[in-house]
Amino acid sequence: MRAASQSPATVTGCEPGFRGVICVSFGAANTLADHDAGGMPRQDFRFASANPEALANLRSVLERSCVGVRLVLAGPPADVHAAASAVAECGLVDEEITLLCDEVGPRVIFCGHCHASTTTDHPIGTDVDCRGCATTLTFTDHFSRRVGGYLGFSAHAEEAA
Amino acid sequence: MTATALQTKFHPVLEGTLQLEVTNVSAQTDSITSITFGDPLGELLPSYVPGSHLVVQYGTGANAYSLTGAGNAPREYAISVLRVEDGAGGSLAMHALSVGDRVQVSRPRSAFAPAATAKHHLLIAAGIGITPVLSHARYAAEWGASASLIYVHRPGTGAHVQDARDLLGSGLTECTDRGSFQEVLTRKLTTQRLGTHLYVCGPADFMDSVLEQARDLGWPKGLLHSEAFSAAALDDGQPFAVNLARSGITVEVPAGVSLLETLENAGLSIPNMCRKGICGECAVPVLRGVPQHRDLYLTDQEKADNTTMMCCVSRSLDPELELDL
Repeated sequence: MRAASQSPATVTGCEPGFRGVICVSFGAANTLADHDAGGMPRQDFRFASANPEALANLRSVLERSCVGVRLVLAGPPADVHAAASAVAECGLVDEEITLLCDEVGPRVIFCGHCHASTTTDHPIGTDVDCRGCATTLTFTDHFSRRVGGYLGFSAHAEEAA
Repeated sequence: MTATALQTKFHPVLEGTLQLEVTNVSAQTDSITSITFGDPLGELLPSYVPGSHLVVQYGTGANAYSLTGAGNAPREYAISVLRVEDGAGGSLAMHALSVGDRVQVSRPRSAFAPAATAKHHLLIAAGIGITPVLSHARYAAEWGASASLIYVHRPGTGAHVQDARDLLGSGLTECTDRGSFQEVLTRKLTTQRLGTHLYVCGPADFMDSVLEQARDLGWPKGLLHSEAFSAAALDDGQPFAVNLARSGITVEVPAGVSLLETLENAGLSIPNMCRKGICGECAVPVLRGVPQHRDLYLTDQEKADNTTMMCCVSRSLDPELELDL
């Protein structure tokens, strides 16, 4: 985790019982600097990416917060979706979360065979080699919010059979 | 009610249902009686989701009562009924039951289920509203789910108080007046961990007040669950006309008379049960015109679609409605 310079609170998290807006941005650009929190108290967090350490930090922030909180996640789609998946596990419902994805960015391909995730810049409908099992995966717009990625499945499987 | 008095003709909503025997009757308070029903042959009854209710036939009517058990492979269905002297008669009939009487009941119907993804269940009950919430509390205790309960009851008149204490321990907050309840409610609504779902049951104005305060304090709708027992009193409304497209007739609905009554007087048979806009049985399809939705059954989206209305309480914003009847 990289703490935003203007907000040392990023390391320790919000005060216990926080019920305002939690603004989380991923990547280099601070996309939420101008975000309108609608007059509610806000806390800002910035992470380089949605890596396990960042997500653990985000979870601990949420565990100290109370119902009434609104969460805004911004940045590259792969990071935003990974974070959205993690916070859904904390019990947050759609109405509590706003996702602001950059228009371009790499996608996460979830391998239907070995369940590993592979990040790629390839467009929908193309192939990518799975990082976990080396299977050549093809993927469509079949997206899972739970895993935060697109389903990849063995390319040309029907031809091989 | 005795076995010989049993109706041979079922209420329409009870067709294909269960005939059970009263296995126990016990007074909870002066005005609340607990009744259990079992299979006459001692078989297990169908399981149910916590917060479900049972429709029980009495005379020519039928009424819904919340089940108070946890619902997993039950040998008995238990309900607790508040005697209402000036009601439609259901509660008086329930209070007249004795052990051994046979009753016709529906399968349990679920409309107030716990959220599977909840991290904590905040239960709020007032008066007889404890019944479905007790089902939730038993379920939470049985499955190790996190739950707490605010129970508002007048001293000495609360049903299942000891059950609630045993099930929830320090998770139970009892309130015996409005002032202390308000204080507890505000504190609880502002201190719940994320992932908490709220469940409320009690009088209509009580539930409205709790839900409104929760929304004002930032609770999204998806976390709020309520079970209506009684609807708020509705005004007489404006007169309007309904054109029944398939019957080819037009009937006038005067102020103070419901659309359901008007349709029945016109000779139509409309399935119905609660006649209070709660149960959803009397839905009628709308072809033209904008209904004035006054029910508690349809979702906001369904109301906005204006293709269905609950004819027991809802009326019309237009001078004339066209129904597919």
